[in-house]
Amino acid sequence: MEVSPLCVILVKSDSKGDRLLFRYPFVHYESPETLSKTKRNPYALPTAEDLLQTSVVPISTISKRGLTGFSDEVLSSLFAVKNDLCNRKFELKVNDVRFVSHPTQLQLRNKQTEKDDTGIMLINIVFSLSALASHSVVKCYHDLSKRIGIILRHEEKRCGYISEQTQTMMAAHDDSCTNNNGAAFEVILQKCTLAANIKKLYEDLCSTGLVNIRLNSWIPLSFCLPQKAHQWHLKGKLVEPEDIDRCLLALRPYHSLLLLHPVQHLINFTSLDSSPSLVQMLSQYSPMKNLQKLAKDSDLSLKHVFELTAHLVYWAKATVIFPVCSKNNYTIASDAPISLRSGLIDMYSTFFPGGNLIRALSEFSLPTSLGQITNPLCNPSPEPDLIKSIIWMLQHHLLVQLHTYVQYMPTDNGISSTKCSRQYVKTPPRTSSVLSTSFPEPSRTESESGTSTVSEAQDFPKHFALESITFASTDDDKHNYQEELLHDFPTEESTQIFKIPATNNPEDLKLFARLCRKGYFQGNHHLEEIMYLENLPRSQLLQLLDKFRDVLVTYETEDPAIAMFSSSSYL
Amino acid sequence: MNSIEKNNLSGVKEGQIRCIFFCEFHHTAGPIISCQFPEHFISKELFDSISVYIITKAELQKSTITVTLQDYKFLGFPVRIDNKNYARNAFHFNLCFVCDSDARTVQYESVVTKLSEYLMSMEIESSFLSIGQSKEKLSPLLEKVMEDLNTKGECALLQGPIATHLKVCQIRSDPNPVLDHQVPIFIKELPPNQWDLTTQQVTPYINGFNHIARIASLSDVDNNLVKACVQNLVYYKVVALVPLFQYSNIYCTTPKLRTLAQDIDLQRRCLQYVARCNRQIPNLRDVFRTYAAMTRGTTIKDICNRFNMANMRINERKLVQFGVLEGLIRRVHKYPIALGDNTDLQKTFTGNFNIDEICCAAGITTQQLEEKLEKDPNIILLHK
Repeated sequence: MEVSPLCVILVKSDSKGDRLLFRYPFVHYESPETLSKTKRNPYALPTAEDLLQTSVVPISTISKRGLTGFSDEVLSSLFAVKNDLCNRKFELKVNDVRFVSHPTQLQLRNKQTEKDDTGIMLINIVFSLSALASHSVVKCYHDLSKRIGIILRHEEKRCGYISEQTQTMMAAHDDSCTNNNGAAFEVILQKCTLAANIKKLYEDLCSTGLVNIRLNSWIPLSFCLPQKAHQWHLKGKLVEPEDIDRCLLALRPYHSLLLLHPVQHLINFTSLDSSPSLVQMLSQYSPMKNLQKLAKDSDLSLKHVFELTAHLVYWAKATVIFPVCSKNNYTIASDAPISLRSGLIDMYSTFFPGGNLIRALSEFSLPTSLGQITNPLCNPSPEPDLIKSIIWMLQHHLLVQLHTYVQYMPTDNGISSTKCSRQYVKTPPRTSSVLSTSFPEPSRTESESGTSTVSEAQDFPKHFALESITFASTDDDKHNYQEELLHDFPTEESTQIFKIPATNNPEDLKLFARLCRKGYFQGNHHLEEIMYLENLPRSQLLQLLDKFRDVLVTYETEDPAIAMFSSSSYL
Repeated sequence: MNSIEKNNLSGVKEGQIRCIFFCEFHHTAGPIISCQFPEHFISKELFDSISVYIITKAELQKSTITVTLQDYKFLGFPVRIDNKNYARNAFHFNLCFVCDSDARTVQYESVVTKLSEYLMSMEIESSFLSIGQSKEKLSPLLEKVMEDLNTKGECALLQGPIATHLKVCQIRSDPNPVLDHQVPIFIKELPPNQWDLTTQQVTPYINGFNHIARIASLSDVDNNLVKACVQNLVYYKVVALVPLFQYSNIYCTTPKLRTLAQDIDLQRRCLQYVARCNRQIPNLRDVFRTYAAMTRGTTIKDICNRFNMANMRINERKLVQFGVLEGLIRRVHKYPIALGDNTDLQKTFTGNFNIDEICCAAGITTQQLEEKLEKDPNIILLHK
């Protein structure tokens, strides 16, 4: 889908009527159809058949990626909207073109005649797009038009910028010969800074989707069209603002920032009055650090680092990854643009002389961690080159990281269907009264006999009995703590869990119950997240998963939150 | 396709028609709404603010025009009939549909155009619109159109000298081209429409296991015709395409797998689908465990060896099919890339084609190809 604008149009409307002041690009492609239409004999009689015949091909008003078929008069009458439609979103679709704008009313600052101070003018910056443009693209363009409107209103109030610019434009139109608008537009482009701004705006939107202009050489306007801006690193994929929002909502302190450009490039990109904390953060940047560490190192609050990250991601300057460490499992991204003809191979070998991208990638055909590639015997710490290579491949979306997710499956039918009524029917806790019944008091007769002749034969069963009692009591204890720990689990689930030998260990069962209760085993949290949130070492968690493997199923997949740039199709 | 799908891919809702109105250019009063259903839906003030987009200049005649305001969207098709008999030598009118502003309305464009052309021919034939009392005649017509389109998605206007049939057609994006090695599979029953001859000949061979090239040879239909036919069925969402099943295939889990543990309805469908026979339904834990075991590097053969599929009452072919269709798992393809100087090999093994495609084009089995590739150290297999 094409998201670049076809044309940017500037229309004004005031007490003297409406007029199209400028449009860019203005090179006129006269299509043969419109010519034949206009040259129709006015005296020809219309025949009924003629009227009823519908053109087979729908009329298209897009040609060579430009807007055609509309005269300036028609456009100006369309966009000089009625008062009721001012200062709100305006959207009009004609055949296969969609026009989006935010008509802005402004009070003219009258320099010449102080008495006539009621001059109100309507300024409308209209973007014409292909009709296929999605709602989100339309929304972005509307936002842009609105912002320009606000700036122009301010500039008019401050120094009468609009009055001056519109007068120059009108004069140019009046001076030029009646029908040759191209010449007038040429003059306007040379004379008016506003026209030059519109030209720059259009070119930026078409090329990078990043706009950075200064209106009236005074007010900066920065704008990012995410659907376009992300094209440079994700070819052919349309990144919607909602996708980015979703990714940013999933941002966690253990994630880390991965810049897509060298740091110096970003520092150059930021404008003079940019936030100093951004520079501060970039100075401490490393893809090996998580956001929490980055915040600490750059002496910023975590929330602010999140905001800065969000900003960089939105502007297609960075993505979010899990910090590069030796335990990370990487594999080749499903849509990695790998072929002999893609330029990536050459780019790789210029970055890493002697390296071959295909060979480097083939290491990750099977999910592989950094620790596995480096030989632990001769070189315990991973080679810096390898890390660089992985970071490069992550920047180009060739690799994705796989995480292990855990699903709790206590019974054959999965989680009990009566999950909502997860109220364990509490059986009264078994009291130690059992002890007294199973271990009868030494019979009175025996004691009464008073004889100390306790035979060995008598002793034996007693001893046995004692042993069995101790057994019974530990078993009983076990059931006690088990039930206490799993008191809110349905009976069918807990009976399955008790079959696992590891439940004999109260520590294990306690940990299991805690993690389960917190909902970590619903496939929403990967191991690293559980480790972070619960402050657990990896080995302990892995041991637990292994011990409870009868009720816990693990699987490996991408983190849907941050892998959205590479696998948005799964969402 | 009779059924209207309310949800489309982008998640934007399909709009119901809220109102239909007919407006004309009155020779003294200017643009007015002469008839609308329901009554008083569009106020005069609202209409005045947008009348310029409804009774338009000559250049915009016969264009589909959509204006979006804060609450409503207006779809129109302005028409002008030139004739000396009219007060201003021309009769302007426009029939507009009104929908919610956040709804998708592309599907109504052709309906609006067709209805306008119907009214135009009625007007030319019998001065249906201009003769006066248009309100009495039009009002029931508009009501019928709106009710029928909103409920059934189609409407037949058979009164009067001319008949017309209106139908709301969903606009969907074009389906991807179909490739030789893909396997079509029905995802719902083929609607009992009068399908074309090719489709009639091809559909008996669509069973979820035959790939396109095989279907072409079995049905004795040209390969490209089969592709076109299957593509058409994919467009109507009758058929989905899955990768060819082989025991040497590798699949991996997707983040969607977790829905299987939570969605009761999905579980029920899954267990029924993957069962070996209808009477013995496998249990969910086994199914989930088998899916979870599908990782990069594990072939279906390995999985069959590890688990006893017959004991678990799971049909592994169906298991894979269901997983792929529902997006729980996806196929991991192997892409051979030829490094070195062998330009002949580099023509085939560019990294753009996976092993399935190459095998299908060359007519050899995967095993044969993989054996050959293994011998050559300059060829690298990438799994992705």
